[in-house]
Amino acid sequence: MKPVRALLVLAALALLAAVPWLGSDTLIQFGINTLLLAVLAQGWNIIGGYTGYASFGNSVFYGLGSYGVAIAMVQWHLPFAVGLVFGVGLGIVFACSLGVAVLRLRGHYFAIATLALAQVMTAIVSNIGLAGQNVGLVLPPLNNDRLFYELALGLLVLATLTVWGLTRSRFGFGLIAIRENEEGAAVMGIDTTLYKVLAFNLAGIFSALAGGIHAYWITFLDPESAFDISLNVKMIIMAVFGGPGTVLGPIVGAFSLSAISELLSSNVTSVAGLFFGAVIVAAIVLMPRGLADIVRNVPKTGWRYFRQNIRAHRL
Amino acid sequence: MSALLEVRHATRRFAGLVALDDVSFALAPSEILGLIGPNGAGKTTLISIVSGTLAPSEGEVLFQGAPITALPAFRRARLGIGRTFQIMRPFPGLSVLDNVAVGALFGRGGGQPKLAVAREQARACLDFVGLGRSAGQRAEELGGPGRKRLELAKALAMQPKVLLCDEVMAGLNHVEIDEVIDVIRKVRDQGISILVIEHVIKAIKSLSDRLLVLHHGEKIAEGVPAEVLANPTVIEAYLGKGRA
Repeated sequence: MKPVRALLVLAALALLAAVPWLGSDTLIQFGINTLLLAVLAQGWNIIGGYTGYASFGNSVFYGLGSYGVAIAMVQWHLPFAVGLVFGVGLGIVFACSLGVAVLRLRGHYFAIATLALAQVMTAIVSNIGLAGQNVGLVLPPLNNDRLFYELALGLLVLATLTVWGLTRSRFGFGLIAIRENEEGAAVMGIDTTLYKVLAFNLAGIFSALAGGIHAYWITFLDPESAFDISLNVKMIIMAVFGGPGTVLGPIVGAFSLSAISELLSSNVTSVAGLFFGAVIVAAIVLMPRGLADIVRNVPKTGWRYFRQNIRAHRL
Repeated sequence: MSALLEVRHATRRFAGLVALDDVSFALAPSEILGLIGPNGAGKTTLISIVSGTLAPSEGEVLFQGAPITALPAFRRARLGIGRTFQIMRPFPGLSVLDNVAVGALFGRGGGQPKLAVAREQARACLDFVGLGRSAGQRAEELGGPGRKRLELAKALAMQPKVLLCDEVMAGLNHVEIDEVIDVIRKVRDQGISILVIEHVIKAIKSLSDRLLVLHHGEKIAEGVPAEVLANPTVIEAYLGKGRA
């Protein structure tokens, strides 16, 4: 990475880390939510952006992470860290068992299958006594937003470093090869099944950790909110808006879309959803490969870039 | 000399269609075997069965004397079976160099774990096929002939013992065809056996040690190029009855 860019990233990181001391309580809460969404987007980036398997079910891992922390802390009186590990463990079991089956599907079928899994989890967990069934669980309160903020930021840094590591590793090249041409990848010696499961696990681990942090932060969870299906759409839109298959894209996407959403909600409340939808449609038409692609190409091709994209959609 | 690669009684059915019918052949070390036949004869199907992309309905494949019919494609690649595709699909998200590096990272024996070393090996393969100057370009920017060479380079980076080439000369002009023939001969000189599917008869005649002809999924001739191409059955297969 070029030194100037590295410095900019470090400066941004320092600024982000300082927010809990510089900003208002509202800003910190907005920050925690945005950071956790960025983690989800980055996690999705691994399985969707780099491997090309657009999962609509990462919310399952988020929910498993949430419940892992909740059950460990409420039912077994274990510390938070252990809860996180338990939540990650649940995620890994899920990824290795059901993931293997679901990863045999491609493209739209994979997306539908993962979405189905996400829907089913809510129903299953609602019937488990240990998880508090429909009523849910209430965690011991910890009123320390600063801690949660820094935890979320730390997790985002970890996720981003992992993605960066992918771009320079044999494993990452394997994933990209699978995305671009899975049959060709197999013929070149890549164990595609193993790699897909590993990528799914990685995405799941980060999603589970995000869920665990979120659960402890808001101290309450029930099946509906823990396995929130809308998270899937959010994380995908953010990753794709920012630039799937890039290192910083999902972060930029998460931050910018959260900000836009927040602005719209506070200023145009009644039709915020409509405006947000319009933003997304415009993004898909004008910049289908995300902001990262704009940064790469517009300096070279200028406005033609947008005209080309519009034409490609045959509007 | 025992065969490096052997296919015994390979048969492949797709629902009602018999794409391959009891085809057997052997490939010796450092041999160039040409595989020809009219369109739809089953050539690509046969190669897919050898590379592991398709499973045969009947029959077996042996590599260095050991059966590999049950092995998935990636394991065969690790044993040393490399393949190019007829419809070239380079990895578009990667540069030309990195496309080839994938071959070096994952080829025979599991490939090379270090990316830097893999890239060096990739560079050597690109030079070998004559694409050295295009290393930094994006793969989609290469024209047709360039892509064909890229396919070759990718397969070579895997350090194969057997190379399966699916129509590497299609769409090339005379000069380009001669260049590809040179490259393939250089590959054989490295000790690699090559199975070449080709439609350009003139090219495959000069290149191959032996020819194998498929027609409607059956082997109709096998032997030295001069004999095979004079065989009336072969001529009839290409030009139709009454022209032999």
